[in-house]
Amino acid sequence: MENNRKNRRDFIKEMSLIASSTAFLSSIPWLNAFAGENGKNVAASDRVRLGIIGVGSRGRALLLNLQEVNNVDIVAVCDNYEPNYQRAIKLTNGKANAYYDYRKMLDKEKLDGVVIATPLHEHAHITIDSLNAGLHVFCEKSMARTLEDCKRMADTHKATGKILQIGHQRLFNPVYLNALERVKAGEIGQITQVRAYWHRNNDWRRPVPSPELERKINWRLYKEYSAGLMTELASHQLQVANWFIDKVPTRVMGSGSNSYWKHGREVYDQVALVYDYDNGTRCIYDSLTSNKHYGLEEQIMGDKGTIEPEVNRIYSESIPKAPGIRQLVNNIEKGVFDVIPIGGASWVPETAVEYKGEMIAEYANNDTFLQMVGFVKAVKVGKPYKNLFREGFHSSIGVLLGLQAMDNNEIVSWPEKYILEKEV
Amino acid sequence: MKDILIPAKRVKKELAILLVCFIAAFLLNIYAIAKYATSWSEILGQLHIIVILSLVIYFIVAILRLILSGILKAFK
Repeated sequence: MENNRKNRRDFIKEMSLIASSTAFLSSIPWLNAFAGENGKNVAASDRVRLGIIGVGSRGRALLLNLQEVNNVDIVAVCDNYEPNYQRAIKLTNGKANAYYDYRKMLDKEKLDGVVIATPLHEHAHITIDSLNAGLHVFCEKSMARTLEDCKRMADTHKATGKILQIGHQRLFNPVYLNALERVKAGEIGQITQVRAYWHRNNDWRRPVPSPELERKINWRLYKEYSAGLMTELASHQLQVANWFIDKVPTRVMGSGSNSYWKHGREVYDQVALVYDYDNGTRCIYDSLTSNKHYGLEEQIMGDKGTIEPEVNRIYSESIPKAPGIRQLVNNIEKGVFDVIPIGGASWVPETAVEYKGEMIAEYANNDTFLQMVGFVKAVKVGKPYKNLFREGFHSSIGVLLGLQAMDNNEIVSWPEKYILEKEV
Repeated sequence: MKDILIPAKRVKKELAILLVCFIAAFLLNIYAIAKYATSWSEILGQLHIIVILSLVIYFIVAILRLILSGILKAFK
C-alpha cells in the first residue's frame, strides 16, 4: 500500500511538471489544478464528501481510485443491482451509507458531489437531478443515450453553475498532454488527418445469473440503453481527435453492421465513419469486434510527423539517418545477397515506413486516478475548469450524430445548437 | 588428453592480425561517415560496431588463411 501511495504521489508530481510550462497552461485550463503540486499530504481540512452512484465494473474502478485521493470521504454508495450494492459496502468497509435509490441518497446525505457510473441511459436524469440538488457531478462517458439528453445535461450544468466533468481520462493523461504540447510546438506540422480505431475480438456479453437480468447486465448490446461501439469506445477517440485538431467536426458519414456476432445483440458489431472538419481535416474512425490484431490507437498525422499516443510514440516524416557504418554494411549486404531482377514490376510497393520513432514522454500512467484528482480539486474550489466539459459534450454529440448517420444512411451536418464556444 | 601449446610468437601474430582488422574497420567507419555525410561523432559513438566488425573481418581472414594453408599443404 505504501508503494502504491508513493506511485500516486509521483503521478501528481509528473502532472505538476507538465503544468509548469506556463505557455501550455492557457490551452489546458484543468492543468492549473496541478501547478505547484508536490503530491505530499496536506492538512486534513476541507475534506470533500462524495457519493458514488453505480458501482459496477467502472464504478468500482473509480471508487478504488478515489480512495487513493487525499481529503476525500466516500460517504455514500448507491446501486440497484444487489451484487454491486453488496460489493460497494465491502469496498468501503461499511463506512459509506448504502442506497438502492439515488434519490434517497441525494435527499439524506450531505454531499459535495457525486460520481455517476451507471449504464448510459441513466446518466442524464441522475446528472440533472444531482446538479439541481446543488451537487457537483463527475459522470462517466459518454454523456447520454440521446442528443436531447446531452443538451439537457449541458443546459442544467450551465444554469446551476455546478461542475459537470465527463470521464474522458485521456484529458489528464501525461502522454497525451505531452503529445499535445509537441503538436502545439509544431513538431508534426499541420494535422491533416486523425485515423482512430478500436478493435477487439469479443462479443461484449457478460454472464447473466438469470434470464430476466439479461438487459440489465448486457445493456451495452441493446439500442434502448446504449449506442454500442459509438458511445462505449468511439467517444474516447473522437474526443482525442477533436482535442488535437482543436475543432468541432462539421459533418459525419458512416456505415455500421452486424456482421459477425449473431446472438441477439441490437447494436452494431462493426462501424466505420468519417468526420469532416471545416479546414478539410478528417477523422477516420473504425471499430471492430471480431479481430484484435491492431488493438486501439489514434494516429495523429501531420505533414512533419505522426503521433500514436496509445503506444507513446512520435514519428518524424524526416527519418533520422542511420550511422554511416551501418549504412555501408547494409549496402554491402544488399549488394551481396539481394536478388537481381531480370524483369517484372517496375515499382516498389509503398509499404509502411519501418521506423520505430521516439517515445513521447517517460511517464508512469494512471489517467483515471489523475482525472479523479482533477475532479476533487475542482470540487474543493467549487468551480468548473474552463473548456473541460466542452470536450466531453462534443465527443458525446459526435458519436450520437455518427450513429444517426449510420442508422439513416445519410451525411449528417453538425447542428449549431450542439456547439459550445470556447471559454476564454 | 593432449595439451595444445600455443607459442607466444603465434599469439603475438594473431593479436597483430586482430589489430590490423580493427584499424581496417576503424578506417571503414571514417570512409562511411564521409560517404554518407553523417556526424563525425560516430567515430567514437559507433566504436561498439567497429569492434564487432573487426572481429567479423578477423574471422573472414582466418577462414581464408585456413583455406590457403590447406591448399599449400596439398601441393607440398
